[in-house]
Amino acid sequence: MAEQLSPLGPVWKPGSHGNVAGGVGVTISETRPGSIVEAAAWHGTEKKLIAAIAKVVGLELPDGAGGGAFRNGAGAFGIAPGRFLLVDQEEGLAERLLERVPVDVGSVVDLSHGRIAIRVAGPEAEWVLAKFFAIDFSETAFPLGSGKATIHHDFFTQIQRTMPQAFDLYIFRSFARSFWQLLCRGAEDVGYEIL
Amino acid sequence: MSPRRSSSGGRVDRARAVRFTFDGRSYTGHAGDTLASALLADGVTVFGRSFKYHRPRGVMTAGIDEPNALVTLLKGDVREPNIPATEIEIYDGLNAVSQNRSPSLAFDVGAINQYAGKLISAGFYYKTFMGPVIGPLKGTRFWMFCEHFIRRAAGLGHAGTAADTARYERMNAFCDTLVVGAGPAGLMAAKAAASSGARVIVADLEPVFGGAAKWSANLVDGQPAPEWAAGVSDELARMENVRLLPRTTVWGYYDGNTLAALERVADHKAQPDIGEPRHRHWTIRARAVVLATGGFERPLVFPGNDIPGVMLAGAAERFAGEYGILPGERIALFTNNDSAYAAAATLKYSGATIVTVIDVRPDISAAARDLASEAGAELRLGHAVVAAGGGKALTEIKVRRFDAATGMPSGEPVSLAVDCLAVSGGWSPAIHLASQAGGKPKWDEALQAFLPPDPMQNWIGAGAFTGGTTMAEAIAEGTRAGLRAAGLPARTVRKTPEVSEPALDPSPAPVFEIRISGKAFVDFQHDVTADDVRLAHREGFISVEHLKRYTTLGMATDQGKTSNIPGLAIMADARGLAIPEVGTTRFRPPFSAVSLGSVAGERVGHIRPDRLTPQHDWHVEQGARLYAAGLWYRPMIYGAPGETVEQAYVREAKTVRGGVGIVDVSTLGKIAVQGPDAAEFLDRVYTNLFSTLPIGKARYGLMLREDGIAMDDGTTWRLGEYDFLMTTTTANAGKVMQHLEYFLDVVWPDLKVHVTSVSDQWAGAAVAGPKSRDVLAACVTGTKVDDETLPFMGIVRGAIDGAPVMICRLSFSGEMAYEVYCGAGYGLQVWEALIEAGKPFGMVPYGLEALGTLRIEKGHVTGAEIDGRTTARDLHLGWLLSKKKPFIGSVMMDREGLVAETRIQLVGVVSLDGRALAGGAHIVESGSAEKLGESIGHITAACYSPALGKYIGLALVRGGKNRHGKRAMISDPLRGRFGPIEIVNHIFFDPDGSRMHG
Repeated sequence: MAEQLSPLGPVWKPGSHGNVAGGVGVTISETRPGSIVEAAAWHGTEKKLIAAIAKVVGLELPDGAGGGAFRNGAGAFGIAPGRFLLVDQEEGLAERLLERVPVDVGSVVDLSHGRIAIRVAGPEAEWVLAKFFAIDFSETAFPLGSGKATIHHDFFTQIQRTMPQAFDLYIFRSFARSFWQLLCRGAEDVGYEIL
Repeated sequence: MSPRRSSSGGRVDRARAVRFTFDGRSYTGHAGDTLASALLADGVTVFGRSFKYHRPRGVMTAGIDEPNALVTLLKGDVREPNIPATEIEIYDGLNAVSQNRSPSLAFDVGAINQYAGKLISAGFYYKTFMGPVIGPLKGTRFWMFCEHFIRRAAGLGHAGTAADTARYERMNAFCDTLVVGAGPAGLMAAKAAASSGARVIVADLEPVFGGAAKWSANLVDGQPAPEWAAGVSDELARMENVRLLPRTTVWGYYDGNTLAALERVADHKAQPDIGEPRHRHWTIRARAVVLATGGFERPLVFPGNDIPGVMLAGAAERFAGEYGILPGERIALFTNNDSAYAAAATLKYSGATIVTVIDVRPDISAAARDLASEAGAELRLGHAVVAAGGGKALTEIKVRRFDAATGMPSGEPVSLAVDCLAVSGGWSPAIHLASQAGGKPKWDEALQAFLPPDPMQNWIGAGAFTGGTTMAEAIAEGTRAGLRAAGLPARTVRKTPEVSEPALDPSPAPVFEIRISGKAFVDFQHDVTADDVRLAHREGFISVEHLKRYTTLGMATDQGKTSNIPGLAIMADARGLAIPEVGTTRFRPPFSAVSLGSVAGERVGHIRPDRLTPQHDWHVEQGARLYAAGLWYRPMIYGAPGETVEQAYVREAKTVRGGVGIVDVSTLGKIAVQGPDAAEFLDRVYTNLFSTLPIGKARYGLMLREDGIAMDDGTTWRLGEYDFLMTTTTANAGKVMQHLEYFLDVVWPDLKVHVTSVSDQWAGAAVAGPKSRDVLAACVTGTKVDDETLPFMGIVRGAIDGAPVMICRLSFSGEMAYEVYCGAGYGLQVWEALIEAGKPFGMVPYGLEALGTLRIEKGHVTGAEIDGRTTARDLHLGWLLSKKKPFIGSVMMDREGLVAETRIQLVGVVSLDGRALAGGAHIVESGSAEKLGESIGHITAACYSPALGKYIGLALVRGGKNRHGKRAMISDPLRGRFGPIEIVNHIFFDPDGSRMHG
């Protein structure tokens, strides 16, 4: 059976780096979920799609962009009106979802190979990410489970808050190494650990 | 201890010596000193030379408004010029040099300019442009003669050429309230807002918060003001909802309450910590902003007012109060307002002898009198300084009676021996940010100052920024502003700290200049004198904007912080108008100098990210020479040892034609087009039909822009009834995606279609050549790949080495070829399996050069031909223009200009002199290296064709087809290439396509 190869290759350097004298500010890891899927509803079918997502992924989603949920390694959040990014530790989420999303409800695209999932976690996660994204990462503005679709110059990025001090970032795979290196450099001042 | 340093007082740490170098000489200061305070403590009087006249200049201010004491900092090979010494925190090893002098600060040959007199007065270089009207150097020749000397003499510091190795970064911040300025008003605003639970950011350009409270003799709630300010700062630092940003200059106020700030994170350290940037650029989005930016003291204009030792009274007070330094031993003060009296008292308290206080006003407030008495100063009311004397240090001043109402001096001058003259010409609120936010400043007659405009964005002013002159006002206003910013009513205030301070008169006398013969400077940084302003007036440059440009008043690094109002006042006097009638220039960002590194942030060196295919590491391991194709890195050739680029690509292309080759095509744009209306959408987007495409088949398609010009091409695969995979050129992937999204969102929102970029989902490999089917047959499982199962443009699904793949039989090379797609995570594994399977067939990997060669031989177009100017017909793609349906561009594509016979058209060209052709070379009908002919087109791509054994190319040529068989010349003067060519059909090889269909 074929196994997905990480796009990070030689730039993945496990261990502690940067200014760790005062402790590790963030841990950075590639989460490698089994499935990353984008699902989108037509105008007026959003609720049906949300219901299908609830059935398949087991997550109740609020209506609208930005809202989301994360539980037991499965995540879902709105990235645009009627559009959701879904993550699951199991492979085959797209196929499972397609069984419940007929063409008159919406579309499903498998992006499991097309995106890298990076987790930035720790007390300085907000600080490090604020260097790259013009987003308010405070918990009031960016509550647990919610997500944003944003951009850092050339890096189109979708971000979900998966824990109070953790964010999962989804980036186009071909940009993975460049972004990873930039992220690590940005975390040097607070000290970081690569898992 | 230096004789100028008092034994106590101020916030410097006398126990910590700091050693630094200025102009090669070692000095010792204390922790907490600025370069200016440390040098002053050591008795240094001259810090730099002036811009034009090279006059010796000392320190004039104690802050960011410093016009004179600009120095260059050296760190390794990197030099940073024009930094105010008043803003440089010293550290062990700091190395600064003075600037704009040669050979030394003490002896500067440029000082001869002082005697050039009116030759280099205002506008002299504009006049130099015109030159004298007679003689050999008339007109521009005179300018060309002078230019070298003027350029050498002018300018401030010199930038270095070494690359800046410092680290910079950018930061985004969001807050409920941004407080700009951490003086008493700012501190109280922050405290009030933060206490209500608001998220607050406090930024101040100084390393220590407190503003004027740091050196004030006032008492706040019975505490010395510096201690009170430190206490409030500590309180704020302990609050979780407050972020303090010392050493941070908020320099720009933009729309949507977005502000830009520069944090000097590590400038005060010999070495930054690990990962610490030198500067951090902040973009702050604030719901509300409190502007508590204080004010700038103005100098008075009189002859000799630039001699080292003449400084602003507030600066002298600050040097004494904050740094424990006496700027002189025998000090006189010269003022038009009460604030200088507080300075006199502080200076006296610090140990100076206050010789006299000279005030242009005939009478002053009782509180000011008391302070003068406290300072032990002789009071000279109704007097003015009419001259200051000394060379590199002030030695004496001359004082005469003065009538503030008429501006006329009278009586005999009295000479006084002093080594410091502290001057105050009143205060100007620092309204720069408010002005940037929009609105016109308002003149206040009582304060003789421009006050902030009415807010056009959500900001609230407080303290000296609004014209307040007392600390009590600052504290009260700051508190109210903080509450308002947090959305609370002002009555929420229960009690504000009580301030014990003298009841000084806030209004200065409207006196800006003591008009006496002699060089009296208005703009110290640009050597603009009062006479220069009057000259501008006489020569007709009377608008403030013209005044600025003609005289350079208010330009350069200080942007006129000390000079704008005196300059305006003198122009107003010359025009017989009131100051507000003359107007004022509005402020624009930045408030003060901003390092370019901070704006670039992390984007230095290789400023754009690399996009890498899943097979990238394999290409590198195989020694492929890579080059950038947009953001992508793609193999150019897989060169064997000793091979030239041409030899390599010819070998690779030959192998494809004769056997089989494999190329990485993962970079192609790929877009999932899904939905019940997907086929209809594609019919509208492409010029040809896609609704008729059967499932499991692909079709080549062409898109036009709305104006009828060709936009992009590629194949689209029908994977299901409502599921298409569109491929685009690598370069246009993003553009096509935007194009599709635009039409779906804006033009046809009724269509049920979703488009999603899946470019990175799929890794791709094209296997091309007569033996390509054999290679696939050797490694693909789960499907046959014979002609029946997989015909031209057919699609099958199978597996290679256990990884699911999708294979489409299509060809860019003109050979039988297949594109193999798999999940990008399996990309390397599938590629290596294909390579292994290809070994028995002699398969080689080939790069973009060979790919380009193969397509040129076939006359296939790419972005070089679909260049935003060509139509489908220009490229012989008219057969793709469906007549059965409308499509984007169909209305406009038949415009007269787009179907004209004279348009450029795709042709082939063959070199007739056996030499290589090059893309970009022009094609001319006649001409030579000496005489260039008229261009009839240009070469878009060229190569050596192994199939033809010739140098060939594709070209866009006027008349196109009609020139087939005709001779022409290529003309490439930039590369020195001229030679004969023949124009031929654009399809050089296998014109009937039998090889790819075979």
